[in-house]
Amino acid sequence: MSKLELVDLEVAYGSVAAVRGLSLTVEPGEIVGLIGPNGAGKSTTLHAIMGLIPARAGEIRVGDRSLRRRSPESIARSGVALVPEGRRLFAELSVEENLRLGLAARARSEGVAEDLAEVFELFPVCEEFRHRHAGALSGGQQQQVAIARALVAKPSILLLDEPSLGLAPTIVDLVFSTLGTIAERGIGVLLVEQRAQRTVALAARTHVLANGELRLTLTPDDAADTDRMVAAYLS
Amino acid sequence: MRTRRAAVQLLAPAALVVAAGILGTFVSQATEIYFVTALISVSTVVAIYVFVGNSGVLSFGHISFFAVGVWAAGVLTIPEAEKPATMPYLFDFLGSTTVGNVPSLLIAAAVGGVFALLVGLPLMRLSGLAAGIATFAVLGITNNILRYYEKIGPGLNTFSSVPETTDLLQATAGAVLVIVAAFAYQRSRLGRQLRATREDPAAARAVGVSIYRQRLAAFALSGFLAGFAGGLYIHFIPINVDAVYLDLTFITLAMLVIGGTTSLWGAVVGALFVSALDSMLAEMEDGMTLLGRTIDLPSGSRIIVVSAVMAVVLILRPGGLTGGREFSLPKLRPAVAK
Amino acid sequence: MIASGLTDFLRDAVDLQVQVDAIGLGAIFALMAVGIGLVFGVMRLVNFAYGQLIMAGAFAIAFASDRDWPVGVGIALCFAVVLALSLAMERVVFRPLRGQSAAVMLIATFAVAFLLQSIALLWFGPLGKTASSLVQLNRPVEIGGLDVRKITIVTIVTAVVCLLLLVALLNRTSIGLHMRAAAIDSQTARLLGVRANLVSTVSVLIAGALAAVVAVMLTVQFPTVTPTFALQETILVLAGVVVGGMSRLLSATLGGFLIGYVSGLLGGALPSAQSQYLPSFIFGLVILVLLLRPDGLFTRGRGLVERV
Repeated sequence: MSKLELVDLEVAYGSVAAVRGLSLTVEPGEIVGLIGPNGAGKSTTLHAIMGLIPARAGEIRVGDRSLRRRSPESIARSGVALVPEGRRLFAELSVEENLRLGLAARARSEGVAEDLAEVFELFPVCEEFRHRHAGALSGGQQQQVAIARALVAKPSILLLDEPSLGLAPTIVDLVFSTLGTIAERGIGVLLVEQRAQRTVALAARTHVLANGELRLTLTPDDAADTDRMVAAYLS
Repeated sequence: MRTRRAAVQLLAPAALVVAAGILGTFVSQATEIYFVTALISVSTVVAIYVFVGNSGVLSFGHISFFAVGVWAAGVLTIPEAEKPATMPYLFDFLGSTTVGNVPSLLIAAAVGGVFALLVGLPLMRLSGLAAGIATFAVLGITNNILRYYEKIGPGLNTFSSVPETTDLLQATAGAVLVIVAAFAYQRSRLGRQLRATREDPAAARAVGVSIYRQRLAAFALSGFLAGFAGGLYIHFIPINVDAVYLDLTFITLAMLVIGGTTSLWGAVVGALFVSALDSMLAEMEDGMTLLGRTIDLPSGSRIIVVSAVMAVVLILRPGGLTGGREFSLPKLRPAVAK
Repeated sequence: MIASGLTDFLRDAVDLQVQVDAIGLGAIFALMAVGIGLVFGVMRLVNFAYGQLIMAGAFAIAFASDRDWPVGVGIALCFAVVLALSLAMERVVFRPLRGQSAAVMLIATFAVAFLLQSIALLWFGPLGKTASSLVQLNRPVEIGGLDVRKITIVTIVTAVVCLLLLVALLNRTSIGLHMRAAAIDSQTARLLGVRANLVSTVSVLIAGALAAVVAVMLTVQFPTVTPTFALQETILVLAGVVVGGMSRLLSATLGGFLIGYVSGLLGGALPSAQSQYLPSFIFGLVILVLLLRPDGLFTRGRGLVERV
């Protein structure tokens, strides 16, 4: 397993800089949070890591390999998986076909059956609705399938873009606790979220992004005071 | 400052066209034909640009409006005695009406405009791929009808005996008129609103611009100008129905793309550049001496070169030769600091 | 007058002979529709130059037939030429234009179509060449009282086999799964590791193979190969694909089949004087569909056609 490193990352849309001077690391097995107001550049950061937008400056590294200037599929095949905002499942394909698509990024082609079994264990809904069209599942079920799909690729880094968006509290609990299990297996997790307090409580470190810049870093000790501290620093 | 820049944007293409016209007076009779063709191409391509460039919507159908302009001007100016030779089944009122040069051009424009308006009423709701396909279908329908409906024209026969009134002067004047019309439109409130819908449809809608109505207006004007260009064309050379179909559609679109789809300057530059290229290649097909060596290209190489250039432009420089920008004088002062 | 004309038409149309020939034509159009629909689905690109691929394959067969090469060699040459040309188009034109607007891609393939046609005109002249190697397939064989041309049987069987193979590929292989995913949401597919370039190349090759098959079958029925070979048919198939529904392979194929079948019926049962305005009707239908049911007649739900 390798660590993810961002060094002075700058991402721009045309002449507008969406992310400036962002540096952070995600070690194997740790969860790092990224929170902040809308438009702060959180999603942009994830998109830049995955190569969907080119980075203007700075470094993006997994292990000792740079991810810059590579295509999204090549980055996915290097062991970085993104669970996109809104889940983006293929609604007309079955749950199983969605999972099998996750296999595209695998480094090794053996052990598929075991890995599928592992994922079914983490998220039983995947097995239960295996042959149903993914579009027929509820939001919470789809979110689980989306995370499962990313895990099937056996990534070393898992990126999540607002997984709790639109989900019922019980599902949010499930997702967050599963993230802990995932991290325990040695995967580094970068979690972009709106739910500031829960993220701070879960993650080893949570960075607060505003206007494209990293303003503040919080640890689980700060969890209870999150909102106050964030408001204070961003005003 | 603004008016000066506007004046430059209008004068540049107009001046280029006039220069071409003047240049044409110094060459031989045979070469003059290339110049007149080039100038008529300018009218045609600018007509297409008025819609495609301002709206950002592709249309394959504009040669339909050109064609009805050809038909209208041609049928109405052939001397009454000569009409039955190529058009024996003509409607009576068409057979007995003959008009002069300028009226025929106006009628051609009017017919083109009305036809475009009628076609645009349903079609302007479409964008992107659907618009391209639908306008292509219009082209097909127009060609089909003009080809077989012998009551309105020569059908499959070649137009002949049309008075050849489009000389260098008429072609140049026509091109300048079309350029002025296009410029007036794009500077007007209508034109700017349409361009706004091209840049940012959501914002335009938010301020109350009706994309449909703006496109319809441009489409109708564009058809009007294309019909006019068609009228100019039939007064220059006898043609048949297949001369106003796919090949002409292709070459006029190529001219617009190569010049730069989104500017008037691009349309004019593209038309003149490709015409010049095409003429030179035509000469080389006939065997020509260049720098002491004889070049004899096989016939048909012209479209190969033009289509290859067009493909290259699309892939490498989609903005075309002009980058899709209007003509501007080199800046005399350093740019204002940000 | 109209009523008797209609009954005459219907009587001729129902004639089994005409039916079989129409189904044969429909089968060819269906294969072409798959070729166009597959590339459109995966790359969002309408290949205006598809007809020219078929033309190139037909010229390859004519070339071989001129030199009295064995039929097998001619067919192999046909496939080689069409596949090579398809790959070249994909690398040189389609890939650099990926992500551009549909309009730009449409004009670009239009330019390629003209380029190929004019190269053919230059090389072979307007009269073209004759491909006579497979002509014996055009002769009829008697089945149940009907004179069915051998080529019609071959066509229908080949079309069915090709379609079944394609369905198997799409549904049971991982590359097929990747292609289906790319057709639905290519960005997310890439995020999962699906190789966009590979998927494009494979779809272009499959479309090319189908074009080669069509070239072989058409040269049997129309041994004279000119630079405008298959142009009319391609325009009709494009119309059929739009009317059927471009965004789904199944509806596109049905649209193609239907327009081929109907053309066959009309060709066999309609006297030529009345079929002059047929293109106008077909084009009119295309416009109507684009306005009223832009996703096609055989689809339900959202498609990719933008409207204001």
